[in-house]
Amino acid sequence: MKKKLFGAVLTAAVLASSMTAMAEEETIKIGALFNLTGGQASIDTPSYQGFKLRADEINAAGGINGRQIEVISYDGKTDQATCANNAKKMIDVDGCVVVSGFSDSNYALAAGAIAQERQVPFVITGATLPDLCEQIGDYAFMVPFGDDTCAYAAAEYAYAEIGTKCYMMVDQSMEFTKTLASCFEERFTELGGEIVGSDSYMNGDPDFSAQIDRFLNDEGGSEFLFFSSVPNDAGPLVLQFRDKGVTLPIVSGDGFDTPLVAEVAGDQAYDVYISTHCSYTNEAENVQNFVKAYTDAYGTAPENAFAALGYDAMDLIGKALEKVEDPTDTAAIRDAIESTTDFKGVTGTISYTADSHKPDKTASILELVDGQFQFITEE
Amino acid sequence: MRYRDNPAVRFVCFVLIPLLILIICAMNRGHYYSDLICLFGINAILAVSLNLVNGFSGMFSMGHAAFMAVGAYTSALLTISESQKGRMAGLPAWFQTFTLPFPLALLCAGAAAALLALLIGFPVLRLKNHYLSVATLGLIVIVRAFLDNEDQFTNGARGITGLPSYSNIVTVFVTALLLLYIMYRLIRCSSYGRGLIAMRDDDVAAQTLGVRLVTKKISIFCLSAFAAGIGGALWGHLQSVISGQFFYFTDSFEIVEMSIIGGMFSLSGGIVGALVMTFLPEILAPLETGLVIGGVQLPELYGASNLILAVLLILLIIFRRQGILGYSEIIMESIFSKRTYTGLFQARTYRDLAAATRAKLAGIGKGKQTCK
Repeated sequence: MKKKLFGAVLTAAVLASSMTAMAEEETIKIGALFNLTGGQASIDTPSYQGFKLRADEINAAGGINGRQIEVISYDGKTDQATCANNAKKMIDVDGCVVVSGFSDSNYALAAGAIAQERQVPFVITGATLPDLCEQIGDYAFMVPFGDDTCAYAAAEYAYAEIGTKCYMMVDQSMEFTKTLASCFEERFTELGGEIVGSDSYMNGDPDFSAQIDRFLNDEGGSEFLFFSSVPNDAGPLVLQFRDKGVTLPIVSGDGFDTPLVAEVAGDQAYDVYISTHCSYTNEAENVQNFVKAYTDAYGTAPENAFAALGYDAMDLIGKALEKVEDPTDTAAIRDAIESTTDFKGVTGTISYTADSHKPDKTASILELVDGQFQFITEE
Repeated sequence: MRYRDNPAVRFVCFVLIPLLILIICAMNRGHYYSDLICLFGINAILAVSLNLVNGFSGMFSMGHAAFMAVGAYTSALLTISESQKGRMAGLPAWFQTFTLPFPLALLCAGAAAALLALLIGFPVLRLKNHYLSVATLGLIVIVRAFLDNEDQFTNGARGITGLPSYSNIVTVFVTALLLLYIMYRLIRCSSYGRGLIAMRDDDVAAQTLGVRLVTKKISIFCLSAFAAGIGGALWGHLQSVISGQFFYFTDSFEIVEMSIIGGMFSLSGGIVGALVMTFLPEILAPLETGLVIGGVQLPELYGASNLILAVLLILLIIFRRQGILGYSEIIMESIFSKRTYTGLFQARTYRDLAAATRAKLAGIGKGKQTCK
């Protein structure tokens, strides 16, 4: 009996694998490596959905030069080791010709090193360390702007509209948050603003009461708070500061561009300003088309700008693949991506040069109103 | 005679087959699956060395990630080139151009971790049970804070990229076998090991018999840290990127999980635990990405492998608290005892094997298993 059962299972397995093998013929495999669980999930999941959405659109329109795209996705689990391993797996086992993903530089660095070593183009959807591409190598491309752009925009807006005295809270465990904070401080003080105090915490700390008490003891006349934070700390930070009676405006970068702020902090999430990649209240046609397509596909409006970044990344890869004769030649794909000029994406215009794989884009300033981020201005 | 006691069976299962797999992998250097096997080797070093403390000395440490971090950073700083050290201004001038060959860097990595264990051993090992566990968790936090904030020595939260990829099947498994052999001889074939187990079972009684508890505790803690440091270094050279994030609670817990799943009270248990925890997530991965069974596409279930692992761990704790291997030392014995190899050349081995097989076949005929 046992043997029969085993035989049946074996046959089923062989059948299943042969069927998938048939389906995979003649497809172009693209790796989508996102942190779909863990601390990065709230920004990486929309990004992955945007990425898939564009891939599905390309396939529905007949694919690339007649070949369908197959998105191979693994979960990075917000763990650098898993990210690196999965990058290896995508390239070695699945045979992906391009790998894309990540909204945080720590993970992009881990996976990027693998892609660079294997000479496979690595398109970064949302990680923003200004010298990320230089650190990884010539196979890395950034779809978003760098943290410097993001922080400068926040600093300029805050100085002009909110106040000249700032108190900073900086997550000391992430490269992104440290870079964002230092760029913000640089531009803010350059403009004539003053950092009256700063404090630090570590990503994943559940309780900020020590920092809040220190702040309440010596506010130093600050007019607003700048939080340099990653998504999973954003909600608790806002909630706990507000609960302790801090009503000052809060300014942050794209790490705050997550529905978690409104979900966790609820009514307390007021007077929050962020600098991020794009705004969906922008009237431009391609933006509205994207919002509509995303809403149709997933039943909700795009959660944050990272959805659009994922979409743009896939769009960019698709356009580059169209120019390549042999879609298994990763060096040719790299050259095709590098030759991108005036690519009109949802999040802005992207052009690469041989010297810079980081696009020069503008940042949008949004304000959180009734749980939704509303567009204020573009810097 | 039982199958599992037969030298020929042991040789095939625990020496020949693994060796063949290793040779095949060694020929496909740098491939994903080869690297996965390397990872298993490193995990085995880590889990077995954790068993030294948690299973054999009666202490419960969770600080392995800290020792790994120290090992990985030490080895990284000793092997990366001058240009990569450029951003680390705090390093002395002579050190900027100083590099060591890989084996020496590995030894230094182990030594640095052991030194840290020695330093914190004196205050921390006075604590017992949970208190010790919590103190070792504290150690992880301290090490992480140092790595993230002392930019001039560690490059901060950005970590160090571009470690030379020295870790491959050969280096990892030669190191692993050496370490495992040392640990096996020390625990199972010496008065030191017997004293250690006596201390675990009843420290007062052991003390009255002349076992020096402080020396024992500190020495085994250091030895465990030494192996963890080497494991961490190998791991760094395998991933080629390290940062403080790599070595935090979750990584420590993962090693503790390996040790518990495989069996804390046996060195072989560490190997089995490493095997399960390295390959099970790999086997479960297709579940997450939307498996196709007979043409039916299952939905994408990201996070499913974590859930399944957690449930398995809970079931194991309820139904088999001693871990998969329990107290058995079968893997280590098979690999390291002479009997496995001399037994191959004795006719008796094969006579026993044939007899056992006949008995088993007869047992199947009767519908009952009579051969035990």
